Amino acid sequence: MSTRRRFSSGAHRYLDGGPHGDLPAEERRDADRLLDGLRAYGNGIEAPGPALTDAVMAVVRQRPARRQTAGWRWLFRPQPIRLRPVWVPLAAAAAVATWLVARPPAPDVAPTAARVDTVFVRFQLVAPNAQTVAVAGSFSDWRADAFTMARENGGVWSITLPLPVGEHQYQFVIDGERWVPDPHSHDQIDDGFGGTNSVLVVGPRGVVQS
Amino acid sequence: MIGTRSLLLLLLLAVAPHGLVGQQPELVEQMRTRGLPESLVAEVAQVAADATAQGLPADPLVEKAIEGWAKRVPADRIMGAIQQFRIRLQEARQALTGTGHAEPLGPVVAAAAEAMARGLGQEQVGAVVDAAPTPGAAGRGLKVAAALAAQGIGTDQAVGIVVRAMRRGQADTDLLDLPSVANAMRAQGMAPGQIGQRLMQGAGSAGGPGVGPGQGGRPHGVPPGGPPDLPPGQTKKQP
Repeated sequence: MSTRRRFSSGAHRYLDGGPHGDLPAEERRDADRLLDGLRAYGNGIEAPGPALTDAVMAVVRQRPARRQTAGWRWLFRPQPIRLRPVWVPLAAAAAVATWLVARPPAPDVAPTAARVDTVFVRFQLVAPNAQTVAVAGSFSDWRADAFTMARENGGVWSITLPLPVGEHQYQFVIDGERWVPDPHSHDQIDDGFGGTNSVLVVGPRGVVQS
Repeated sequence: MIGTRSLLLLLLLAVAPHGLVGQQPELVEQMRTRGLPESLVAEVAQVAADATAQGLPADPLVEKAIEGWAKRVPADRIMGAIQQFRIRLQEARQALTGTGHAEPLGPVVAAAAEAMARGLGQEQVGAVVDAAPTPGAAGRGLKVAAALAAQGIGTDQAVGIVVRAMRRGQADTDLLDLPSVANAMRAQGMAPGQIGQRLMQGAGSAGGPGVGPGQGGRPHGVPPGGPPDLPPGQTKKQP
């Protein structure tokens, strides 16, 4: 049977390491006895050494891996699969059917004629004294530096461009500053600025010469 | 002291000239991207907004301004050309409405303006638009008729070729091959009158007789512009 003793606040301070002050002798004796018992208990406890750590880790390593990790490993390991051969063509047919159903509809084009939206057009200009020649037009937003032509033998400058089907106006730009129409074009139009644009109509089956 | 109504009115007047910005900001941005100065952008935008309000297309005006700026034309001359162009568009629209096309679309008006600048008359423009199954076909038909006329074929005959091709049901994109075909015939030494007759009879239609060189465009992997069998010395593709 044990009896619980109620300490005064001064005894609590003493037990917490404070001065004993004017603690009554009987209460101080009880407190000292309690402190002696605590010290004796503390001295009997040993700190865990490396042997304990090793033992714990050995147990942890022996535990089975988590189920999720095991699943991933299964995915990446070769596994034998049992399959009835008849399922292979059936699966292929299902895949083809799915593709046929899901693909976008074919464009509405005439079945007899190949439709071409862009046609390659070759531009040429004879300018033996030019340092640079470019072609600029409605197809290049009239940028003078967009399509620089290559010099060939005999002072012939040329370039081949993919142009959308339709009508285009253009000029050649010599040495970056002189705008001239195509001298071989039979279709010219006043550009409104005192010059002349050459006109080119590109059909889906190609152009011959403007 | 300015009242609220007056303030709103002033604000409205200030914003009104920039109607193009609100309606077609990409056109204004296009001019800015090409480096046109703000003052010129504002002037062109004003003319374009006025044109839009009159049912005229704005893009050809903006494109013309960009063309002039690229050619280093002074701003005042660019504006002069823009104003002239707007008048031509207006005349083309009147020509179309005068032939029974009450609300012509912008691309058709633009194509009509160009065709009239190249010699087609009001009735001829109306005839092409009448025969066209779609507005897009009308624009292409007008361009083709003008291109044929530029090759020396009479405007009546050029318009007749286009109208007949449309009435035969020829795909409107195939119409765009007609100038090439005519050009190839001319390269072979045919006179414009002969070319016109051949085209009127159906040459140049898909699979039709008398298709000249230059056909066979792209799937063959060569620049389709170049006819393989033009006479020696003939300038075949420039372009």
